[in-house]
Amino acid sequence: MRFRVSLALALACATLVSSTAHAADDIAIPFTKTVLPNGMTVIFSEDHSLPKVVVDIVYRVGSRFEEPHRTGFAHLFEHLMFMGTRRAPSGEFDRSMEAAGGMNNANTSEDRTDFYDVAPAGSLPLLLWLEADRLRDLGPLMTKEKLDLQRDVVRNERRQQIENRPYGLVRLRMPELLYPEGHPYHHPVIGSHEDLEAAQVDDVKAFFAKYYDPANASLCIAGDFKPDEATQLLQSWFATIPSKGKPQDPGMGAIDPASVALKSVVRETVQDHVELARTYLAWQSPKAMAKGDAELDLLASVLTKGKASRLYQALVYEKKLAQDVSANQESGVLGSTFEIRATARPGVSLDAIEAAVDAELAKVTQRPVTKDELARAKNGFETEFVERLESVDERAAILNEYQAQMGDPGYAQRDLDRYRNATVEDVQATALKVLDPNARVILRVVPKGGAK
Amino acid sequence: MKALSTLGLALLVAACGGAAPVVPPPVAPPAAPPPPPAASAPADPLGPEPVPTLAPTFQPPAPTVYTTANGLTVWLLERHVLPLVAVTVTIPNGAASDPKGEAGLARESADMLDEGAGKRGAIEYSKAVDDLGARVSSGASSDRSYVQLSVTKREFAAGMQLLGDAVVRPRFEAKEWKRVHDLWMNVLKQRQTVPREVARVVAAATLYGIDHPYGHPVDGLVSTAPNVALEAAKKFHDAAWRPDRATIVVVGDVTKGDLDAQLDAAFGAWKAPKSAPMPIVTPPPPAPSGADQPRIVMVDREDASQAVVSFVRPGLAAADPRDPVLERANVALGGSFTSRLNEDLREKHGWSYGASSGVQLMRGVGMVVASGSFVTDKTPEALKAMLGDIDDFGHAGMTEDEAQKTRLQTRAEFVEQYETIEHTCLALAHDASLGLGPDWEAKEAALADQADRQALNGVAATFFGRAGATVVIVGPRAKLEGPLTQAGFGPIAFVDAEGKSVVAAAAATKTKGTK
Repeated sequence: MRFRVSLALALACATLVSSTAHAADDIAIPFTKTVLPNGMTVIFSEDHSLPKVVVDIVYRVGSRFEEPHRTGFAHLFEHLMFMGTRRAPSGEFDRSMEAAGGMNNANTSEDRTDFYDVAPAGSLPLLLWLEADRLRDLGPLMTKEKLDLQRDVVRNERRQQIENRPYGLVRLRMPELLYPEGHPYHHPVIGSHEDLEAAQVDDVKAFFAKYYDPANASLCIAGDFKPDEATQLLQSWFATIPSKGKPQDPGMGAIDPASVALKSVVRETVQDHVELARTYLAWQSPKAMAKGDAELDLLASVLTKGKASRLYQALVYEKKLAQDVSANQESGVLGSTFEIRATARPGVSLDAIEAAVDAELAKVTQRPVTKDELARAKNGFETEFVERLESVDERAAILNEYQAQMGDPGYAQRDLDRYRNATVEDVQATALKVLDPNARVILRVVPKGGAK
Repeated sequence: MKALSTLGLALLVAACGGAAPVVPPPVAPPAAPPPPPAASAPADPLGPEPVPTLAPTFQPPAPTVYTTANGLTVWLLERHVLPLVAVTVTIPNGAASDPKGEAGLARESADMLDEGAGKRGAIEYSKAVDDLGARVSSGASSDRSYVQLSVTKREFAAGMQLLGDAVVRPRFEAKEWKRVHDLWMNVLKQRQTVPREVARVVAAATLYGIDHPYGHPVDGLVSTAPNVALEAAKKFHDAAWRPDRATIVVVGDVTKGDLDAQLDAAFGAWKAPKSAPMPIVTPPPPAPSGADQPRIVMVDREDASQAVVSFVRPGLAAADPRDPVLERANVALGGSFTSRLNEDLREKHGWSYGASSGVQLMRGVGMVVASGSFVTDKTPEALKAMLGDIDDFGHAGMTEDEAQKTRLQTRAEFVEQYETIEHTCLALAHDASLGLGPDWEAKEAALADQADRQALNGVAATFFGRAGATVVIVGPRAKLEGPLTQAGFGPIAFVDAEGKSVVAAAAATKTKGTK
């Protein structure tokens, strides 16, 4: 069968009206949200423009929920979710899905674990059946063989993505320098080899029982499907999974947030198999969606996006000190990190690089950035918000992300408004408050065996 | 993350859509309710595994093609879904046209296009692009060079003006060249510390030979980058970038009327010179090695906890009608998570985070590539298993289940590539410059879909096997040389990060007196 091609397809999924003020007036992804009796959140977003369907499930658990000496466990667990049950033994989850022309993947952060399945329209019952099956039964059926295999895979993931990649060590060390021991963000998501080795089958079962509970999950279906059918399947397969109750978010635990704030400059230099030395400057910054979070995204653009940005122009273009420079605000539930990284050109000292960065940062704390600079940064975000609506996978992820973060899948418009409404004064005030030269981490990476 | 996302979809860069296809009402029956439980067994609330209903096949739409008064070919695919437009200007000359000893010239020439153009210097140009919330980027592959623009519908006219400046009115200023060249040299040196990049460079240099048009990396070589000069970059641009050789591919929320007005305003002044255009290079296939066992080449990476292993052998040209069949066959060997290589090396043995294979689409004969990163002490076993998997696949072919799986996965990949206008635009630009024609995506989809198991196994037998292959290993020599040799892999040739024999390289360095 062939598709008819329509040149004037109305988008069922996103409503965008072009205007003279913005690329888009409304960033709205139509959705419905319900909560099953067992506490599981369900989001539907129907759109028949392409013959594909996506199931995205977020479990509110990440590396910050891990027990002491079990670093890396949440991510290891993500891998174990594919290791099979009675109905779908090891490997069957992937084999069934790919046999239907589908694919899946998952990722784990400090705050959440996100699983997604993408498949041709007509595969929704299979996707939901596989997801319901593992949410019902996976934990109690865990074995040492399954655990050992994925432990090896994860340790190889650590080697490939971090150890054997230039500057990869920074991702291990930065959180430890930014947050004191005992802080939920102190350890990296990937964990240590030692802790990965120490994980036991009983740990897996307990983790599953506590966090892989329907009341701790949000399931989003997007794309080409019939909501009535989906509702019927969810009622039969998911609503019947008993909940032990929503697990408590440990948050900061007994830690007083004021006590973990950086109060001085933390310096460290590590050697790595790199060609050029690089410095990473990092600050604790306002948490996701808090006042200052969007302002720091905008500031990162003003500082490093494009050749006209402050740091690129000063360090790379004019002074020719740096090979490259970038900045970003990495937002988290308990707090965020604002990080600037700059790579030194051959023969340039990191002292010179850091001094040049600080000179530019002093300017943005002392005087507001120009209205043109802020408008330019905002325009970049406007386009990004629209581009994110192009794919079904992205839309499912966005709805579920806002649900997890704000309890409202439809938060996109308000999220965009944070950027639209930011003023140059807001950006300056945030810079002044956050970018304290006397309270930050300065982590340097230098070539192995080379001089400082 | 469970798996690198490149595993499934990245290798088959293809289709594009001027319009999102409309799906007929699904013929899918409602999902079967759980069957009544058997008398003896307890009721299973989930019932048996559901069997998906087959999604209909996908027909990639073709762009409208026409030529402007000054000879510029236009491929337009309207897609009025979101207020976004993607545009690529592409020409059929890339790194395969680099003169000998000037590797990277095509790429650097393209790099200069947004480093000052028209009435704007480099900073002003970049500022103008960012003011629109747009993106402009330029680059090259072996077979072609391109500049691309992504812009909102509202800023389309201004974006086209900037794109036109880059293509038609680049400044090639000495001051900017100096910076671009300095940064480029540093990037090339940095590349030598990235094991996967090193494997890529060495694999092509070994399989094709460094003097073959595909034997040097598109991004150049540390050893010859100093020879690449501004004058040559300018000349390359003048000879290769001309309207009678270029195609502009436009995908997104724009009508022909709007587009033509902007083409006239931004590209109307672009005229083809009278001189003969730069020849299009279709390189010969790599010389067959004739050996039963793969050539083993190693680059030492001291103390690495893993070895990057890359297997390469000759594939075929993109225009070969067997190519879509080969790509589909590859899905079973290493093109998805449940492929043979990943199942064996990751899910069965845990030696790797993932192993995959792919097919390069080139104007001439591209490479078949299989690769993975293996924990160092298991590298000999992993390599043995990898070669065994490839041989088995070539000899015995795929099962009927695999044939069906790859058909559905290939269909899904075409659907996937129609989702974003940028992917669509890139795929069409590739087709345009390789001379594949505006209906290639539809042809490709049909050729892939129609292949039966016998056809798939025919190409598998021809293109998958260790004979005539090269294996590049980037890892710690001190820990690997002995075990690899004992496992029967040898002789091992040791080369540097750009594929030169380490003995020869040491001698050359000495004579030049550099570090």
